[in-house]
Amino acid sequence: MIGTRKKILSFCVTAAGLFLLFLFAVNTGSLKVSPAELWRGLFIQYDPNVATIFDLRFPRIFIAMLGGAATAVSGVLLQAVMKNPLADPGIIGVSSGASFTAVLVTAFFPSLFFFTPLFAFLGGMLAFLLVYSLSYKGGLAPLRIILVGVAVNAMFTGLMSAFNSGTGSSYSGAASIVNANITMKTWDDFRTLFLYTVIGLIASWFVAGRCNLLALEDKTARSLGVNVTGSRIVISVIAVLLAGIATAVIGPISFLGLIVPHIARLLVGSNHRVLIPYTVLLGAFTLLLADTVGRTIAAPYEISASVIMSVIGGPFFILLLRRSKHGYGQ
Amino acid sequence: MDNNSITYSVKDLFFSYGRHEVIKNLSFDLHKGKITTLIGANGCGKSTLFQLMTKNLKPNGGEILLGGRRLADIRLKDLAREAAIVHQYNTAPDDLTVEKLISYGRTPYHTLGISSNAEEDEEKIKWAMEITHTAKHKDKPVAELSGGQKQRVWIAMALAQDTKILFLDEPTTYLDIRYQLQILKLIRKLNRELGLTIIMVLHDINQSFYYSDEIIAMKDGRIIAQGQPEQVITTELVKEVYDVALQIRSANGRPFILPV
Repeated sequence: MIGTRKKILSFCVTAAGLFLLFLFAVNTGSLKVSPAELWRGLFIQYDPNVATIFDLRFPRIFIAMLGGAATAVSGVLLQAVMKNPLADPGIIGVSSGASFTAVLVTAFFPSLFFFTPLFAFLGGMLAFLLVYSLSYKGGLAPLRIILVGVAVNAMFTGLMSAFNSGTGSSYSGAASIVNANITMKTWDDFRTLFLYTVIGLIASWFVAGRCNLLALEDKTARSLGVNVTGSRIVISVIAVLLAGIATAVIGPISFLGLIVPHIARLLVGSNHRVLIPYTVLLGAFTLLLADTVGRTIAAPYEISASVIMSVIGGPFFILLLRRSKHGYGQ
Repeated sequence: MDNNSITYSVKDLFFSYGRHEVIKNLSFDLHKGKITTLIGANGCGKSTLFQLMTKNLKPNGGEILLGGRRLADIRLKDLAREAAIVHQYNTAPDDLTVEKLISYGRTPYHTLGISSNAEEDEEKIKWAMEITHTAKHKDKPVAELSGGQKQRVWIAMALAQDTKILFLDEPTTYLDIRYQLQILKLIRKLNRELGLTIIMVLHDINQSFYYSDEIIAMKDGRIIAQGQPEQVITTELVKEVYDVALQIRSANGRPFILPV
């Protein structure tokens, strides 16, 4: 049992951590400004250093935060739909399906740039339907979802790499999606991400109650008048939308949707009305942290946030599998 | 009996899982304000019949009427305001509290997760906790309760739905005799004091005699007897339903079976 005080404390600490991390991320790089200078430069008087930071670093920071929030919430929703704490948009192939279509659109139909998230959503949906239908056998066994997901993920990742190599990585926009690179992002990217992510996050808040009911047996939920299948479809669509948008802009990030919800549940419990808002904060914090670490650890070279997440996420995933009290084998 | 005393009316019902026919041409009427108990051997279709009557499964043939309306035409949400069911097997997240779980019983009265009458919700939840004696555990996680306490919490959730009909699928299975009696007495109280129509599945034949107004005996997806316990239960019927020869004795003017 987690008391209300601990929950409030978790929210406050994470929000404060995010704010401090934001200030640190703003100052990571060759240009340095103090918080006071930053404040003055942003709101009071023009400052060339602050203006440069505003144009180059701010979009990247906000994109990392939004993308992290979207991916993490997508993980929470998929876990609710599949009743499986190991479901993650990266692991089960939703992100790679989304990024594959995003790559195709970026490469062949650059004029449709603004709609890339929608195409990414369709690609993610395709991957999701593949996983869902292929692992359904009179019920969804947790392990089967992961196995089928790994296969679907491998297929889309392979297709993407093949495309990237086959074109000599000459489509730089496409290559940046393939490598999940957040550098060189602009305010335009931010606006695209912002619009769709906010829609997705608001929608996910409205289905929080449904997610709670899906944690009961399907029969029980149905006897409470809940259209279980319908709820699953709606929640899945929102989950894929969130993962798809994030992927379209920052590329596939694995394990984020797994790690963040898991830690969030330990801190604030499994009530989705609390869990989803908290996951927004923690997801934003985690991806921004991964991106900032990637920028500092081997400066002036950069390690992409997705690589950092995979390096940390892999062992974490194994730990989860080993410590889990329910057996995942079925 | 006149039609006003009937809630559910099942007519020529058929259902099969794939090729396996589970319910075969089954018909019966369920009387208002009574405790009706289904008895029958394992796998005879009792639980399936419950699933069909609560729209968890769709029949392959025949129809079910509730209050004269076809069940197929009643929205799931409206049905959840008419009939509640406590399933045999239930799970809840580890940290879900008793009060929160019971509050889920108000779901059929919400639109898009928003309650139209929060006061009434609270009243019904409180009432459900009082009548099932679960109020003292309201802030505990359901997962930490004993089997008998858990079962009362699930019944409380169904009661919070504020329905006139309550289905109970083997409410006493997995419980020791003390909890079994607690639950059965609670069920009788719900029927006698609140006028709830109750239909349940029980495995103990003696308990079903004692606590029911009406018995429905099933075999191989069919009903083979329906009526008051004293009239229905005979050595022959028990032999037919369970395929064992048991003696019937009388104690305090009621029939009892010696289950040995």
